[in-house]
Amino acid sequence: SRSPSHLVGCIRTVKTTTWFDEHLTEDNQEYMRKTTAEEYRRQTAEKLNPLKDEPWQRHEWTEGSRRVGLVAVKLGMVPVWSKTGERHVVTMLQVQDCHVIKHLSKEEFDGHTAALVVGGKNVSPFNRSESQMEMFRNAGVPPKQKVTTFKVSDNALIKPGTPLYAAHYRPGQYVDVTAKSIGKGFQGVMKRWGFKGQPATHGQTKTHRRPGASGPGGDPAKVFKGKKMPGRMGNVYVTAHGLKIWRVNTKYNVLYVNGSIPGHKNCLLKVKRHTRASLCMHLFMFVCFPVRECASQ
Amino acid sequence: MAACGKGLDKFMFSLRLLRNLQLQNERFLSTSVCRLAVGGSSEQPPKFTPPSKPVIVDKTQTVASTRSHLSPEFIPPRQRTNPFKFYIERKDMIRRRKVLNIPEFYAGSILAVTMADPNASGKMNRFVGICIQRGGHGLGATFVLRNIIDNQGVEICYELYSPRIQQIEVLKLEKRLDDNLMYLRDALPEYCTVDPDMKPEPISPTGEVPVNKLKVRMRPKPWSKRWERPKFNIQGIRFDRSLTPEQMEHAQKWAQPWREYDMLKEYDTSKLEEQILSEVQREMSK
Repeated sequence: SRSPSHLVGCIRTVKTTTWFDEHLTEDNQEYMRKTTAEEYRRQTAEKLNPLKDEPWQRHEWTEGSRRVGLVAVKLGMVPVWSKTGERHVVTMLQVQDCHVIKHLSKEEFDGHTAALVVGGKNVSPFNRSESQMEMFRNAGVPPKQKVTTFKVSDNALIKPGTPLYAAHYRPGQYVDVTAKSIGKGFQGVMKRWGFKGQPATHGQTKTHRRPGASGPGGDPAKVFKGKKMPGRMGNVYVTAHGLKIWRVNTKYNVLYVNGSIPGHKNCLLKVKRHTRASLCMHLFMFVCFPVRECASQ
Repeated sequence: MAACGKGLDKFMFSLRLLRNLQLQNERFLSTSVCRLAVGGSSEQPPKFTPPSKPVIVDKTQTVASTRSHLSPEFIPPRQRTNPFKFYIERKDMIRRRKVLNIPEFYAGSILAVTMADPNASGKMNRFVGICIQRGGHGLGATFVLRNIIDNQGVEICYELYSPRIQQIEVLKLEKRLDDNLMYLRDALPEYCTVDPDMKPEPISPTGEVPVNKLKVRMRPKPWSKRWERPKFNIQGIRFDRSLTPEQMEHAQKWAQPWREYDMLKEYDTSKLEEQILSEVQREMSK
């Protein structure tokens, strides 16, 4: 948000963005669509072929090393029964076209850890800016809807362009899932912060869902910063921690993750390994599913 | 005849097969059999009249094959979910159905369910009751069985695809005038009492499911819900026994006659149903 002094010279200009096919003839539009689709397919096929693409060296796992996460799509919820007959509810997450896009070394990122930029669902290139497209072109990967960074230890670096699949995780591991929660708009204090409100009857005049008092009296003589008040609720990144993975479907790349997850159906999520020692199941082998095995699926 | 008594069973079966498959002239067969009987060889059976008992039909298999019925939990609700999610759920549902036979039933049919229970003696418990409601979609589909045991009404909600269910038997297959029989809670107890040792009635494999046009008599008001109101649209209660015509008219105040013309509330599932039915039948026969 800008301070008022910056806005003094700002004049509202008319934005002239249009959609890509407004000034093209119909044949050209079709041609553009077809060529981009073919290019996507070619790019994904290229990445699966281990001969053309030399993956980076795989290192040994050490205590305290971090692996990349995945970008997944939330499908919906289903019940799941364990062998003892207990019923649990799980959310299905599908890993659609997850590719590693860029490698940021320690110096580029923050000076402490290296990072890998990972992208999710494929999306059309026509509505992306040139700078974004450059990044995707360097990796040789179709443009993605969601692009996130994962902090990664040095022995877990992956070459940009490698696809990531649901087999990255095994049943029994614990994950953290981050997603943008459902936006509720401008909401009152009862829904947003869980205030109790006032009674419905017994003489209450026009006061049923109001916040009531806003703080102590004359001594501070002010309302403290951060006071819970009505405002926009939702549409913020929320993380659900320590979710167990019940099942992994490697054919369709679906993860069955315990419990509920923030976000609406078909929203994109960031899935990471959970790092609390009590819940970790240490996998003594490393990194993602090797490219050779991906191609044989 | 008596000498070939042992071989009778085997050859009876094969003869019947021959008759069905080849559709031979009866006279030819019978004359040939006669001739052989005269010959007296031990391989061919002598002339015999087949017993007049009915052909044993495997009810669980035949009913499904002749009447194509799609269980309501396969039909996805109208939501903004990816159809792929329903596809994966359907695969799991079909896998479970291949192990446990889930028969066709409706609200109003009498079912017996055996469920695995670690605390029960013999590890299983069996419950018989009328199905009053079928709810849920996909793997979480449920049905509620109601029965009155020792003057106490008992309702149990079972999940169709729970691995604890060992067997679902349809003792009486029939439909009622409504899909939801929750009003049986306020009806006289005679309408919900089902004998726990009831024997399964034979189910006709072809033709329509019989509709029981029973109109139920209710206990005096107050009821758990105002069943006379048009939103429930209940056909199966004898309102004239418990309500005056003025009360019935008063209930019509809550009618919403515009709802039948509301196009946005329409959800036409016929094409979806056909697709899903063909897919399910294909997978089940594999």
